[in-house]
Amino acid sequence: MTGDPVSWAALAPFLALFGALVNGLFGARLREPLPGIVASAVVAAAFVLSLVAFLTFGERDAGVHVLLWDFMPVAGLDLVVGFQLDQLSLLMMLIVTGVGTAIHVYSIGYMHGDEGYARYFAALNLFIAAMLVLVMADSFPLLFVGWEGVGVCSFLLIGFWYRQKQNPDAARKAFIVNRIGDAGFLVAMFLIYRTFGTLTIAEVNEAVGGFAFGAAALTAIGVLLMVAAAGKSAQLPLHVWLPDAMAGPTPVSALIHAATMVTAGVYLIARSAPLFAQSPDASAVVAWVGALTALLAAAVAFAQTDIKRILAYSTISQLGFMFVAVGVGAYWVGIFHVLTHACFKGLLFLASGSVIHGLGGEQDVRRMGGLRRFMPLTAGTALIGTLAIAGVPLLAGFFSKDAILLATFSSTLLADHGALVLYALLLFSATLTAAYMGRWYLLVFEGEPRLSAEARERVHESPRVMTVPLALLAVASVLVGYVGLPSFAFPNWIEPWLLPATATVPFDYPPLWAEWLLIGVAVLAAAVGLALAWWVYMVQRGVPVTRVGSGAFAGFLRAGAGFDTLYQRAAVGPAEGVSSGLALLDRDVLDRGLAASVTTTGWLARLVMLWQSGYVRNYALAMMAGAVILILVVVLVGVRA
Amino acid sequence: MVTFVIMAVFSVVGALGVILLRQPIHAALSLVGTLLSVAVLFVTLQAHFLAAIQVIVYAGAIMVLFLFVIMLLNIEEQRRPVMPALRWAAYALGLVAAAGLIAGALLDPRQAPDAAVVRETLQGGNAELIAEVLFGEFMLAFQLVSVLLLTGLVGAVALVQRGPPPGGATRADATRADATRADAARADAAGQRSGGRPPDALEAGGR
Amino acid sequence: MVPTEAYVALSGVMFSIGAVGVLTRRSAIMIFLSVELMLNSANLALVTYAYQWAEAGMLAGISGQTAVFIILSVAAAEVAVGLGILVAIFRNRASTDVDALAEVRL
Repeated sequence: MTGDPVSWAALAPFLALFGALVNGLFGARLREPLPGIVASAVVAAAFVLSLVAFLTFGERDAGVHVLLWDFMPVAGLDLVVGFQLDQLSLLMMLIVTGVGTAIHVYSIGYMHGDEGYARYFAALNLFIAAMLVLVMADSFPLLFVGWEGVGVCSFLLIGFWYRQKQNPDAARKAFIVNRIGDAGFLVAMFLIYRTFGTLTIAEVNEAVGGFAFGAAALTAIGVLLMVAAAGKSAQLPLHVWLPDAMAGPTPVSALIHAATMVTAGVYLIARSAPLFAQSPDASAVVAWVGALTALLAAAVAFAQTDIKRILAYSTISQLGFMFVAVGVGAYWVGIFHVLTHACFKGLLFLASGSVIHGLGGEQDVRRMGGLRRFMPLTAGTALIGTLAIAGVPLLAGFFSKDAILLATFSSTLLADHGALVLYALLLFSATLTAAYMGRWYLLVFEGEPRLSAEARERVHESPRVMTVPLALLAVASVLVGYVGLPSFAFPNWIEPWLLPATATVPFDYPPLWAEWLLIGVAVLAAAVGLALAWWVYMVQRGVPVTRVGSGAFAGFLRAGAGFDTLYQRAAVGPAEGVSSGLALLDRDVLDRGLAASVTTTGWLARLVMLWQSGYVRNYALAMMAGAVILILVVVLVGVRA
Repeated sequence: MVTFVIMAVFSVVGALGVILLRQPIHAALSLVGTLLSVAVLFVTLQAHFLAAIQVIVYAGAIMVLFLFVIMLLNIEEQRRPVMPALRWAAYALGLVAAAGLIAGALLDPRQAPDAAVVRETLQGGNAELIAEVLFGEFMLAFQLVSVLLLTGLVGAVALVQRGPPPGGATRADATRADATRADAARADAAGQRSGGRPPDALEAGGR
Repeated sequence: MVPTEAYVALSGVMFSIGAVGVLTRRSAIMIFLSVELMLNSANLALVTYAYQWAEAGMLAGISGQTAVFIILSVAAAEVAVGLGILVAIFRNRASTDVDALAEVRL
């Protein structure tokens, strides 16, 4: 450990790991809320370390490399375990530990009384550790270790309430779909090694410049990395696990499936920015997948009735936005949206958790409504979150979303790959975003209450340990956008900060008046969306919805636009068929055969039993006789070495 | 040479004593004699350390243990075995075995090694050399033997633990033992003990 | 110079005597003693061959003696446990007649 404060941040994952071990090994003996306090403390400490590192980073060019120990000292590939602490990783660390601390504190209250209290916090700490390793890794294999680690923790936490069958099923689904992405990651690593001869990220990024622009090798690697990212970040067609992952506790949905783990895919692409900057085809794949996902998910979100599933599809859609950003080459914009999204989506999830908690477990929005009266703090913060995600000016989401739209419009990297079409799709998705989020807010908090009798009795505002993090995130959702003001007219801090750690791609920015026009268009889109929601749900009391919403199209959308059915028919069904066939084989053929050999052995044994008289000395005599025979054989026949 | 012959004779005589002597104590002491003779033979074979170990451990500890048990359980003289057929079969087998082994040894003559060379190589089989090999080449065996000794220790202690009677059959034995003890006490008091031997002698024979 | 065969023959004779003892004696303790005799004869044979092979190198020579060392330890453990069993049996039946222990069967 050097004297450089930046390198101290390398301790952060080990702190989280320590918290996980304490809670994992001794959790059963600790009374509430001690596991929660321990867990929150280690994450807060990690946050402090990250903050110190961030503030002391200063004007450096390159990041700080902290070497830990040898990993694979194999000929031709001398891999070490090391952390690369540069602007990108420090920013990600701040997001992970900052939002993580808030959610840990929130969980102290949310998980109160749960029998798996300590287990929850152990898994959550382990997740933080793995995520930190992921964003600090200096080589692809180490990143993959963190990648897998967060996948495991996601599995553990989605299936946390494992006694209800649908929870471990959802966890399994998440893990298996993720695995498909991981296969892409592995093949990408093989190709990287074959192409560049090294797996250290910094070295790869440097070597990319030696390849032709748009070289096939780079494109292949880029597409495979996108496959991996699509699995982890729930993009088409590997998005099907995220809505089901809402089976986990709400803080888990907030932390893992909104703020951090699902952004790992975006981070991966930003980390490999030089490679994508050299390969327009790969970047196009990234951007188009992102845009289509954004659109489809936004449409499906309209048809959902579960308070968390709406947010889940919203997350998928917003992730699509981030991928478009990194696809067109504006890597800092993608990370910027990660930052803002972490704040307001985390807020929205925690608010929905507060609602669920206050209503005693109700999650169907059709049985909510008018909660503003009963839960004013939750409603207020949720409103801020909704406006932020819709892109209302001066809140965080506005700045990041607008930056994405501007970058897409001005992209030169994808100018031949339909950048303008992408822009149109994104704009439409932004409108839909505002609309469905408005729907979400209005159905839950406004209008006449549609609560069930028991819910009406117990509805209450959540305790302070839950509402304080909500307030903090609400403040963050307002302020955090100001680090990335539109650079053509205002000071922008985040772009120059992240640029050295990613890559510079030329953009064809329109003239000043056009930029202001674009901003206006984006604001208009948000306004149209919100107004539409207001009109349908408040003015018309949802009448258009009840007329249309019960139709076949709505049903199709509610069921995730047919993806789950498709996978069930194409993959899951045949797999189950094969496995039941094998089970039949095992039972009837193998087990019967074994049983037959067992009875034969028993019959033989009874035969031999007749020899056992019980007299020890007879046995000894027999043994001696055998030994003598052996001696005679050796002597007479002769055994020579 | 002379040493060998004398010690060989002692060993064989001792061995015969083990199997032929009536009283268990005599047989045990005879075995001690055999062990000591073999220890001397070890010395002639440049295995000084082993000879010492033989005397200390084998004769000094194991045989002492035997003597303790013999005296504790007061094992007395044996009657003649019931089945002469078995006895003659055993003797015959023993003779055949001895003949076979002697023949086997004689049929495979070895070039006697140079005593000086051996003396120098083995250095009397001293502790240092054995240790070098034991903790190096045979480390695994050493560890396994340690485990074995530990197991033996625990097993031996567990076997002789006198726990509460498990009920049923053994309670009868316990009362029988109590009864015999009570008899012995009565006999004691009446001064009628013969030869210092409690009634629950061994070789109570068949049931 | 005593030939190696002499030692081996002696070892063989002791072994056979011990075997006869196992078969002939009636008390468990005496059988045990005979077994110890057999073990000892094996030790003698091993040390003899260790001496024989010592010309080929230190390891070849000393390995035999090390084996004896280990056999000794094993014999010690075996005696401890065996005598423990014996004592336990004796407590139970007040007799060590092996013919009475005709229960090693089904």
